[in-house]
Amino acid sequence: MIVATRKPFTEIKDLVSGHRKILIVGCGTCVSVCLAGGEIEVSILASQLRIALGLEGDDVQIDEAIVERQCNREFLVLLGKKKNMTDYDVIVSMACGAGVQLLGDVYDQKPVVPALNTVFIGIEEGPGIWAERCQSCGNCVLGETGDICPITMCPKGLLNGPCSGSRHGRCEVNPEIECAWVKIYDRLAARGDLERISKVLPPRKNSRRAHPAVATHEAYKRRFVKDEKIV
Amino acid sequence: MRRSFKEALASGEFLVTAEVVPQKGIDAGTLTPIIKDLNDVVDALSVPDNPRALMSMSACAISRLILENGGDAIMHVSCRDRNRIALQSDLLGAAFLGIRNILCINGDHVRFGDHIDAMPVYDLDSVQLLETVRSLTQGRDMAGQQLVGIPDFCVGTAANPEADPLPPQLLKFEKKVQFGIDFVQTHPVFNIDNLVPFVNQAREKGVKLIAGVRLLMAEEASSYKDGSYPGLFIPEDLLAEIEGIKVEKSVEIAAQLIKAMREKKLCDGVHISAPGYEPKIMDIIKAAGI
Repeated sequence: MIVATRKPFTEIKDLVSGHRKILIVGCGTCVSVCLAGGEIEVSILASQLRIALGLEGDDVQIDEAIVERQCNREFLVLLGKKKNMTDYDVIVSMACGAGVQLLGDVYDQKPVVPALNTVFIGIEEGPGIWAERCQSCGNCVLGETGDICPITMCPKGLLNGPCSGSRHGRCEVNPEIECAWVKIYDRLAARGDLERISKVLPPRKNSRRAHPAVATHEAYKRRFVKDEKIV
Repeated sequence: MRRSFKEALASGEFLVTAEVVPQKGIDAGTLTPIIKDLNDVVDALSVPDNPRALMSMSACAISRLILENGGDAIMHVSCRDRNRIALQSDLLGAAFLGIRNILCINGDHVRFGDHIDAMPVYDLDSVQLLETVRSLTQGRDMAGQQLVGIPDFCVGTAANPEADPLPPQLLKFEKKVQFGIDFVQTHPVFNIDNLVPFVNQAREKGVKLIAGVRLLMAEEASSYKDGSYPGLFIPEDLLAEIEGIKVEKSVEIAAQLIKAMREKKLCDGVHISAPGYEPKIMDIIKAAGI
């Protein structure tokens, strides 16, 4: 899932300063799970802004909303049916960067500002801990590296073995974590499959991560156009 | 005319190289006399490429300065700061300027340096860089395009016999030696028996192994412990031994290491580094009797 963290309150306050009618929109998917932009976080931010702006004597109206997925146009259209979007001076998005941008595309007459910093694609490692696992490089090598991504898990993104700084199996850049290549080696050794990493992995294909990337599912696209129900 | 580093490698004699670290700025006034002195006693001077990610003058410029002062240079090429276009371009430029020896490395992460918000590039890793160098020396760039004028490099890479665990390091080393490299320069070694698997693998492939020897200064002991020097792993007992010692004793420790490695035939030469204390390299060479 996409993991995000909330921006410092002062930064969000600066982004909305001067606006009287503010709508805060949370997202019910990834950022809800990582407790950054779900219903509760929307409510907390709204309360903080009401108090802070109220103390400064601003007469503000702060409304709250949550959509199931801000990265999906249909849900944003539904939002417009629940809220009169033209009423607001600014929309605060508590979604990942993709959600913020789509909200801005759908309601492009209004300034949409982010309340979160999108940090990575990752997993839940434990209660309250999320950890990065994928850089969406478009060139997955997990099949060669024991299901451990060296591009993400090694701070140098090395594809052909550890750097010279690994000691006691720890990473030289962050000794709190294990060296990705030691993990890869140990896992494949345990599987009797070291042959897999004995060949040289070629340089990554950066053209596959050219921005902005687009992924198309041709069959779904054809069905969607033919069906004409959702358009 | 003095022999080149490549000729020295081929001679079968015990080799000595030393490290000179480029300065931050364009005044090479302090470095030049050190280079002149060392040029007389070493087979080549090895020039790091923004070591520990501390921004300094380019290794290429200092390598050229070494050549102009009658020595031979080993220019380090780090993957940290340049993508594959810049790496190839700088390699061609270095060859054009007469630099013939290169050491291909990943490079210390920017986290250790003085520009911590810099992008750590690593578009290629050191293994892929070695493959790229081989392609350039065969007349083609990475895109398969033919070069007009082909560089001829004596190619080296790094390894760290003190890294732990060793098997993943050896697996990577095996990948590196397959690209027809000429030499490997190790990180500083303290447990000299750790050289055994590397030197065995190197000799099997006809690659010369130059063991790293570092002058350990008492006043730097705390930095050695706190991980400020990536890849520098000093055993606890040695760290205790250097506490409060004078520089003469540090020189002696380094010289003893060289003698022991030479006696046990664990390397084909030594690479001596003493960052900030370069004049002491002469003393180490004398004390080691090489």
